[in-house]
Amino acid sequence: MRRLNKLTAAAAVTALVFAGAGCSKKSSDDESAAGEDCVEKGDVKVGMAFDVGGRGDQSFNDSAAKGLDKAACELGFEVKDAEAQDGEPESAREERLQQLVDAGYNPVVAVGFAYSASVGKIAKANPDVNFAIVDDAVEGENISNLLFAEEQGSFLVGAAAALKSETGTIGFVGGVDTELIKKFEAGYKAGAKAADPKVKVQSVYLSTPPDFSGFGDPAKGNTAATGMFEKDADVVYHAAGGSGGGVFQAATDAKKWAIGVDSDQAKTADESVRDSILTSMTKNIDVAVYDFLKGVEGDDIKTGPQVYDLKSDGVGYSTTGGHVDDIKDKLDEYKQQIIDGTITVPSK
Amino acid sequence: MTGSRMTRIALALAAPALALVTAFLITSLVLILAGDDWLGVWSQILSWPTNRTMVNIVNSATVYYLSAVAVAIGFRMNLFNIGVDGQYRIASFAAAWVAGEALLPGPLNIVLALLAGMFVGAMWAGIAGLLRVTRGVSEVISTIMLNAIATAVVAYLLRKVAVREEGSNIISTKPLPEGSRIPGIPFLGGEIYGFVVIAVIVGIAYWVLLNRSRFGFDLRAAGQSESAAVASGINVKKMMLVTMLMSGAIAGLVGLPLLFGQAYAYGSTFQSGLGFAGIAIALLGRNHPIGIAIGALLFAWLDQQSNPLQILLDVSPDIVKVTQGVIVLTVVIAYEVVRRYGVRLEQRHVAAALDPQFQQKEVSA
Amino acid sequence: MSNTSTDPGASATGAPDVAVRLRGIGKTFPGVVANHDVDIDVRRGTIHAIVGENGAGKSTLMKILYGVQKPDSGTIELDGQPVVLSSPSDAIGHGVGMVFQHFMLADNLTVLENVVLGAEKLHGIGDGARTKIREISAAYGLGIEPDDLVADLGVGARQRIEILKVLYRGARIIILDEPTAVLVPQEVDELFDNLRELKAEGLAVIFISHKLDEVLSVADEVTVIRRGATVSTVPADSVTSRQLAELMVGSELPSPSTELSTVTDVEVLEVVDLHLPDARGGRPLLDGISLRIHRGEILGIAGVEGNGQAELVEAIMGMRPDATGRIELNDGDIAGWSTRERREAGIGYIPEDRHRQGLLLDAPLWENRVLGHQTREPNIAGPFIDRRGARDDTERIVREYDVRSPGIDTLARALSGGNQQKLIVGREMSSEPSLLIAAHPTRGVDVGAQAAIWDHIKRARRDGLAVLLISADLDELIGLSDTIAVLLRGRLVGTFDPGDVTPQQLGSAMTGATDEEETA
Repeated sequence: MRRLNKLTAAAAVTALVFAGAGCSKKSSDDESAAGEDCVEKGDVKVGMAFDVGGRGDQSFNDSAAKGLDKAACELGFEVKDAEAQDGEPESAREERLQQLVDAGYNPVVAVGFAYSASVGKIAKANPDVNFAIVDDAVEGENISNLLFAEEQGSFLVGAAAALKSETGTIGFVGGVDTELIKKFEAGYKAGAKAADPKVKVQSVYLSTPPDFSGFGDPAKGNTAATGMFEKDADVVYHAAGGSGGGVFQAATDAKKWAIGVDSDQAKTADESVRDSILTSMTKNIDVAVYDFLKGVEGDDIKTGPQVYDLKSDGVGYSTTGGHVDDIKDKLDEYKQQIIDGTITVPSK
Repeated sequence: MTGSRMTRIALALAAPALALVTAFLITSLVLILAGDDWLGVWSQILSWPTNRTMVNIVNSATVYYLSAVAVAIGFRMNLFNIGVDGQYRIASFAAAWVAGEALLPGPLNIVLALLAGMFVGAMWAGIAGLLRVTRGVSEVISTIMLNAIATAVVAYLLRKVAVREEGSNIISTKPLPEGSRIPGIPFLGGEIYGFVVIAVIVGIAYWVLLNRSRFGFDLRAAGQSESAAVASGINVKKMMLVTMLMSGAIAGLVGLPLLFGQAYAYGSTFQSGLGFAGIAIALLGRNHPIGIAIGALLFAWLDQQSNPLQILLDVSPDIVKVTQGVIVLTVVIAYEVVRRYGVRLEQRHVAAALDPQFQQKEVSA
Repeated sequence: MSNTSTDPGASATGAPDVAVRLRGIGKTFPGVVANHDVDIDVRRGTIHAIVGENGAGKSTLMKILYGVQKPDSGTIELDGQPVVLSSPSDAIGHGVGMVFQHFMLADNLTVLENVVLGAEKLHGIGDGARTKIREISAAYGLGIEPDDLVADLGVGARQRIEILKVLYRGARIIILDEPTAVLVPQEVDELFDNLRELKAEGLAVIFISHKLDEVLSVADEVTVIRRGATVSTVPADSVTSRQLAELMVGSELPSPSTELSTVTDVEVLEVVDLHLPDARGGRPLLDGISLRIHRGEILGIAGVEGNGQAELVEAIMGMRPDATGRIELNDGDIAGWSTRERREAGIGYIPEDRHRQGLLLDAPLWENRVLGHQTREPNIAGPFIDRRGARDDTERIVREYDVRSPGIDTLARALSGGNQQKLIVGREMSSEPSLLIAAHPTRGVDVGAQAAIWDHIKRARRDGLAVLLISADLDELIGLSDTIAVLLRGRLVGTFDPGDVTPQQLGSAMTGATDEEETA
């Protein structure tokens, strides 16, 4: 019996692991296109490979999906998407891209730097197909890199944080300690210092690669932000994906400010915390994706790095809630200076 | 005894067959209830794979196989090494680091990295073994905790030794030099990992060691009955520790096909979760090297064949996780049911063969 | 003795005060008779003790009364009504409750929670139950507080909770299985006070034990069981512990071996001053044991089980690392050796529990042939198992020792006890040991196998084997041994010649009933 019990326990653990893997994801559903004013042509088939989380992650996957859906509607493209699974092997990503190619999708858009190596490889194997990858600089003749000047947008919200802070201390919560997230931190700090040279910035990362849990753990986000609020910070900016919900909750509980990221989170976050969101650093992946697809339509595909910055409206800050109306002039002044090149924002 | 041998083989096959059929039915039920095209799903999964998919199945099965053998070694002595996951990740990292440093030229570097991986895997598992032997800590608990610690340790160390390519967000160890990669084997127009050969060798060595050697006899005896093993002169604590070390050493190999055949570095996109698949496959394969191979191929088949489901049918490939999970649960139950049936069958058979009077009665065990 | 025993048939027919009446109870397991012709009457308002050696059939009998096992023959009457008890819940329904030696309590729950667990329907789980528990506790002087956490309570209190659990479920007949085994003397006295309370309230208490002094101090009547059958029922106030011991041992001793002595003066095993401390801090498990066995000699160890027999065997086998003292085998000191080294040096071992220690039940016979001999010919070839050699030799054992099996690929589990034991004996003899340690070699085997095993041991003795024989079976001890030593509380308290020992002498020495005349 003892042996059976142990076996059953082991099996149950295993099954839980599988079940855990199973329930953490949503199946993709194509409620996308099909608006009434949409164009129907279907001459171009676009494939999109999402990162883990896929549609419905309220973060960058969703943002990319928005651009895709817009293209489907306005340009009349036929679209298809597939999402990554947690802990999948490199071959699964390659397979996903290749299958989209095999099924006749061209171009193929990969969302997230996890696809770096696989896009490089599959693009090489399929020189007649156009690829785009979000957030990664992998090189190839048929690859467009959709990159963002996150540091510029972060500069503006950093300035906003410093201007709004009464304690002179602000915070930054990064999801995972990667190069990408460090760009957010660098811009944020630079903006804060520009607005108030004496400002103190606390900074914390929730996890370190290869542990990517920091992008999806609201509890960790909450703990980190609460700690900062207790140590005098009164504005905290998060670049932590799904963990951001915890940061908003902490700000609401402490009656302090939080700053959102990627999309205008004062519109998308849970209603109970929206009032605590000072502003959001918007990273318009949808704009970049739509731009790229529009290029496909116009037979004008730009390969290589395409950097979306303040100038091209790829990044920016949101004003929902009106909490930054009083400093809007100041922020727009910084924005103009960055666009002019008067201010150069560090990315490290 | 060919009759009883045939019966035993038939019984051995009955359990996995029962489990597979149950898993098929439950998965179909889930699909039907969710309103998905269940026939389409099965016809995709059961269709003959393309050559490219076939290559992927073999590659993926190779990795699963090593993971399951690592788990099975523990199972054979009634130790539940749930920590293969942590062991292979920390070992793959160590091997990648050592190989990336290229301390020795070419193939020697491969050997060094293999040994480093096995050593680190063994040591990591050895912690749990030592805790079990000296403090009586259940290895189920300690290995699971060590998984979490391994994640943190690897994250910490990776930052120390990582190299970054300009513009890339992936951090990883220094890539293996060209000469230290294990070349693939041409197969159906693609290439399967050269590591397949090592996996086969591991399978044969596992079988010989466990079923033919004195050491293996001691290990199995200790697994079947600790008290009988002690009385027979086996040092059970030593066996526990050695078993844990061996299990960990094999676990150290799990990530290496990926390292030497595909990724060439350990980084933030290195495949995770292989250890848990190994538990499932070892259970399914009854710890037998051939059974494990079939189980590994089955799991790899399901994984790879389900990949296009999303693209073709708008069904999430997660459905095969359900299938795999159900297989694991049902297989354990099915084995126990079949085992009990088999014991009763054999007792009746013995009684009948010896004494017609005993035919009605059950022999007490 | 016969004049003091009551005749249950005459005194109790139809008497309303008889709570339990067992008549002609018999139970047979394949090849082994566990009980036969058991007649017992337990009167209401009394404490009735059942005594007997381990293996005498007490526990099977109680399992029958508690509905765990069904008797093959005989009848059970409760309060004058014949009943068929097919499960413990049946038994509880008829007012029979059992307190097991090992408590079944959840430490992290309160007394109340433990008591109501599984009996939620009786008085609910709240105040109704709490009141009921207080009532029972007060009525029988148990001193149990329903809201105490079990983890905070001592062994004595836990036992009282077990009793309370049984009472709570409405038991009027309570069976206690060796209840004093886990208690210190102070707690034993308290328990006996509680039992007297139960008796005073008109309950029938059945008390199983082999500690005769305790039995006599608390019981009203004592039934002695030997070899599965009731020997006699006597009033406790008219019998001495020594008389009880004689009843347990049997009034007639079997005749000793008529074979010529083959004892030589060549020493095979010498044990000097062997000590084994109790890890839990109690009295030593082995206390200064010294013995020697010569070539061709069988030394039998008699004693009530639990007095150090298992520990003695395991210490000599090297399975008790805490043991201190000198152990010499063939003039070499083996005290620091591992079990395997000792086996290789020529010790054969027939363990007392063949399922736990002697066999791999789910392995085929030929692999069981290898067990314990996995470093020796013919089982090995270098670092590998020699399957051919092992299988051939298993065939030989099956043939020579008459192991009844369809073949050597049969799983050990499928064999009957006697055939399993014959396989073990054949295996242990096959490496030609110089010393054989045989613990209860014929326990639970059928008569045919018993005779065969005895013959094998005798033949090996003629060939010069030295044997340490542990047994609870006096037929076996006296029939085989050249010398009998008695083990009591971890000490050797007497040495007897099986040729002229009396049952009184053995009984006294084994039970410590009269220490002063131990070596008569």
